[in-house]
Parts: sequence; C-alpha cells; structure tokens
Amino acid sequence: MSIPDTSGTVPVARRRRGATVDVHAALLPLWRGLVVFRVVALLYAVVNVVRDVGLYARPALGIAVLVLMALWTLVTSVAYLRGADRRLTVVDLVLTVLATTSTLVVDDPARIGAGGPVITTVWSAGAVLAIAVAYGIRPAIGAVAVSVGALWFTRRALDAALLSDAQLLLVAGVAVGFASVAMRRSAQRLQEAIATEAAAAERDRLARDIHDGVLQILALVRRRGPQLGDPELVRAAAEQEVSLRRLITRGPIGLDGPDDEPVDLGAALGAALPARAVLAVPPDPVCVPGGLARSLLAVVREAAANADAHAGEDTGLWVLLEDEADTVTISVRDDGPGIPSGRLAEAADQGHLGVASSIRGRVAELGGTAELVTAPGDGVEWELRVPRQQREGAR
Amino acid sequence: MTVRVMVVDDHPMWREGVARDLGERGLDVVATAGDGAAAARIAPAVRPDVVVMDLQMPHLDGAGATAAILEVLPDTRVLVLSASAEQGDVLGAVRAGAAGYLVKSAQVSELVDAVERTAAGQAVFGPELAGLVLGEFRRREREGGTGGPELTARETEVLRFVAKGMTARRIADRLGLSHRTVENHVQNVLRKLQLANRVELTRYAIEQGLDADT
Repeated sequence: MSIPDTSGTVPVARRRRGATVDVHAALLPLWRGLVVFRVVALLYAVVNVVRDVGLYARPALGIAVLVLMALWTLVTSVAYLRGADRRLTVVDLVLTVLATTSTLVVDDPARIGAGGPVITTVWSAGAVLAIAVAYGIRPAIGAVAVSVGALWFTRRALDAALLSDAQLLLVAGVAVGFASVAMRRSAQRLQEAIATEAAAAERDRLARDIHDGVLQILALVRRRGPQLGDPELVRAAAEQEVSLRRLITRGPIGLDGPDDEPVDLGAALGAALPARAVLAVPPDPVCVPGGLARSLLAVVREAAANADAHAGEDTGLWVLLEDEADTVTISVRDDGPGIPSGRLAEAADQGHLGVASSIRGRVAELGGTAELVTAPGDGVEWELRVPRQQREGAR
Repeated sequence: MTVRVMVVDDHPMWREGVARDLGERGLDVVATAGDGAAAARIAPAVRPDVVVMDLQMPHLDGAGATAAILEVLPDTRVLVLSASAEQGDVLGAVRAGAAGYLVKSAQVSELVDAVERTAAGQAVFGPELAGLVLGEFRRREREGGTGGPELTARETEVLRFVAKGMTARRIADRLGLSHRTVENHVQNVLRKLQLANRVELTRYAIEQGLDADT
C-alpha cells in the first residue's frame, strides 16, 4: 500500500511550522512506548549480566558496559520525551552497535561460539525503534540491517537465532515506522485544517467589521438624506448600501460555473435585483444547479422589468424566495396599477404573445408553473414554481 | 403616557443619532448602552418599555442581550435595528424573544412608528423577517417534526403575504378577514417561533443530561 505524498500540495512554510512543535506532540505516544520498552529491556540485560558475570572473560568491563547502557537509557529517554533533534537516534544506533560488539571483548569466545547471548540482549532493539519513530519505515529497515549486521559480526553464526532476531526486529521496525508516518501525516493535516479555519474565521471577522462600519455610514447617509440636499448622492448611497448588505448576508455568488455546479439562489437574486426591490429569503442558502439558477434569474429579471415598464420604477417591488422539499418558489410582486381582467386574454387572441406567455413558456421549459395574480389597482404578482432538479433531458 | 425607550448600539454616532431622533419625536429615551452586556446590566434599573437593539456588538451580541433582558423584564419589548441584516443574527434575536426587526436605513418616521407599534404590543414584521421565519418553519418541517409547534395553513398564508410586502390591511382584504385577525396571526407566528426555540433548548438540555440535577 502507498500513502499519498502531500508534499507537492502543501506550502513549505506551513509544513515546516507543523513539523517543529506539533509533530513531536503527535509522536509523543510512540516515544513514551519506546522509553518503557528500553527500561524493561535494560532490566532484562541487568538480570542477564548478573547471572553470567562470573563466566565473562572481563567481568569488570561487562559491568562498565552495563552501567553505560543504563546511563545512555536515561539520557535518551529524557531527550526523546523532550523532543530532541532526531539525529540523536543515529548516535543512539552507533553506540548501541558498539555496546553489542563489545561482547567480543567482554565475554569468553568459547561461550559466544556456543551461541551465548550478546551483552545488550533485546535492549539493542531500542535504537532501531528510535530510528523508526524519528525517520519512518525505510531508515528503520536500514537500522535493522545495521543492527543485525552487528549481531552477526559479534557471533559469527548465521543460525536460526540470528534469523529469528532479524525477523522480529524487521517487523517491529516497520510497524513502528509505519505508525510514525501515519501519525505525522495526520498531525500535519490537522494542523493545516486548523490554520485554514483560523485564517477563514479571521477574514470573516475582518470583513464583517469593515463592512459593518461602511454599512453604518451608508445607512446614515440614506437616513439623513432629506437634510443633505443632494438626492443623487443619497440615491447612490442607498443602492450601495443594499448591494453591500446583500453581499455580506449571502456571500459571493459564482454564477459563472458549469450548469450542474450548485448556486445559492438567494445570493444570485440579491445581486440581480434592483436596489429598491425588497428581497425575502429563507435563513439557509437555497442551492440549485447553476443552469437552473441562470434560467430562473432570467425569468425573474423579465418579470421585474415588466413591472418597471407597466407600473413605473417608483412602485414597490417585492421578491420572495421559498425553499420546499422538491420545489423552489419565487414570487415577484409590484404594487402598481395591475392589469384589468381580460387584457391578457385579449392580447393573446390578437396574436400578441407578450411578456406573460414568454414567462409561462420559460418556466414550463424548466418543468414548472408560472401563476399570475392581478387585479386593477392591486398590482401584479407572479408566482414561479419549479422543481429543484431538472428532469433528465429537459433543457 | 410616553413610551420609555432604551437604545443599544456600539456605534456612538448611531446611538446618539437614534436617541436624539426618538427624543425629538416625543419618546422618552431613558438610557443608552454601547454593548449587549451593558444593556443587560442597565435595563433592570430603568425598566424601558421598548429596547431598540443593534445585533453585532462586543461582549454580548443583540440576541444574547435580548434573552438576558427578557429573562428579567418579561414585559419589555425588544425591537431589533440592524445595519447588516445578518440573517442568522436576526433570526437568533427573534428566537430569543425580540418582537420585531427594522433595517437601520429606515427613515426616522418609520423608526418612530415601529417603536410606537412595538410598545403597543404589535409585531414589527417586514418582508425580510417574514421570509426568514417562513424558511425557518419550512426547515423544521423538512427535518421531520422537531416536536415544536407548527404553523397552521392560515398562518403560513398570512406569513407569505407579509413576505411579499403586503400590508396587514391588504392581507385582510384579500383573505376577507379583519385587520385585527391578521395582526393576531402574525403575532402567533412569532410566539410559535419563540416557543419552538424553547422546546428545542429543553430537548437539547435533556439530551445532554443537563437536567439531571433538577
């Protein structure tokens, strides 16, 4: 199995920052395990040496090596737990190899030849595991080779015991190395996710603060309008206030994407409608495929333009967006003079298809319905209801 | 009897501007506060009829301050006056018990009218808020009966008309109801939203085992 390499996609600076403090914290459980193993293995070595010391060629030297092993265990334990430079693990391996090969001078050659244990016993595996935690799988395999080589050099026998030691070391080294790589990667991903989120939150906060301040001023200009005596300025401020408010409230729109890319219809409506339109939307984004959103916006624009043409640009314009399970409904209402009953039918009879049938046709193409409610003096209201998902093949 | 008003806004220019406008139109501005926490501290001392509340404020936002004030002064009414129309915030404040919502760019006369209507117990309920509330009830429905109160068909109908910008008078004409009945429907909708909020909070507390010591 392979682990995807993320180094190509992650900025170097962020990786570096993640690699100093947090990776150590992520690997700490492995280092702790290693320390426990080392201490237990040291006790085993002590038992071994105490039992055999009478048989050694140089017992005093044997005790000295054991004391050095104990001191080294202490030093490396403290250093690893504190997150020391990982090159210490290489020094660790070199010293461990020296301790293993010291068996040659400490012990009786006859005992070694008969398959007696090396002085370091299983303690020597500690350095291999340290390399595995610090550097990962491949260096761990290299360390296994060095360690097994030292064992072979000491005992000069390619026997079953050596092969068994080599196998165990290899399994342990690869397993720990794999764990180390996995933990390092997940720590880095977490770190990156946290950094990204923090940056986004900070940007949001800044944007809100800044926009909020600008909005306050624009709203103030609009509100004080009559006293300012510059209707053009007041109108411009009002328009900017509405569009900025819609932008903050709904976020960016992204209508230029492919047809199936979801678009928030509320945001799209906010951007498309004239500033005087009062837009009512649900609290959550109403996401529909981009193609459907574009078609709907075109219909809404046509209805709004029709209101401008017949009722004038000073009449009120209200747009309501509703989100139901399978359908979205957009209502466009003006409070202009309305259309007398019969006028529409009359126009159709005379062959003038006009705006109403154009709107109906475009909504029908989307698989929906367009309902017109109007009466003289009661404005015009379009209710456009379309399924959220277009049927296959319906274009 | 003059209406006692408290103005809460973190922008000094706004706070003083709104207070002055309301004062000039014959309302009694009894206190102002620059953040939600200060508002919650001051309100019990001055007991305003109406609190005009901004939403985005340091220390405690408008929704939090609304909840804190209504906890102590259940008869006080909160009118949200917000610049940013941050939808989650508006809905949050209304769920916390605010009786209405007005955009900051509303004309002075609209603001005074809204404060007076709020004091009279009416809900200042524009199309934007109606759309939010409608969407909120629909969301609850979609998520499959959260156990809170639901809107009647008539209430939904009225709410949709409000969201399309129709006045209560016009809605009454269209539905053949009295003006008063339409107002009642609108207020019931707000009450149900606030009740639903409480049901949700209680359920959440039970799920989290927070009621274990009661």
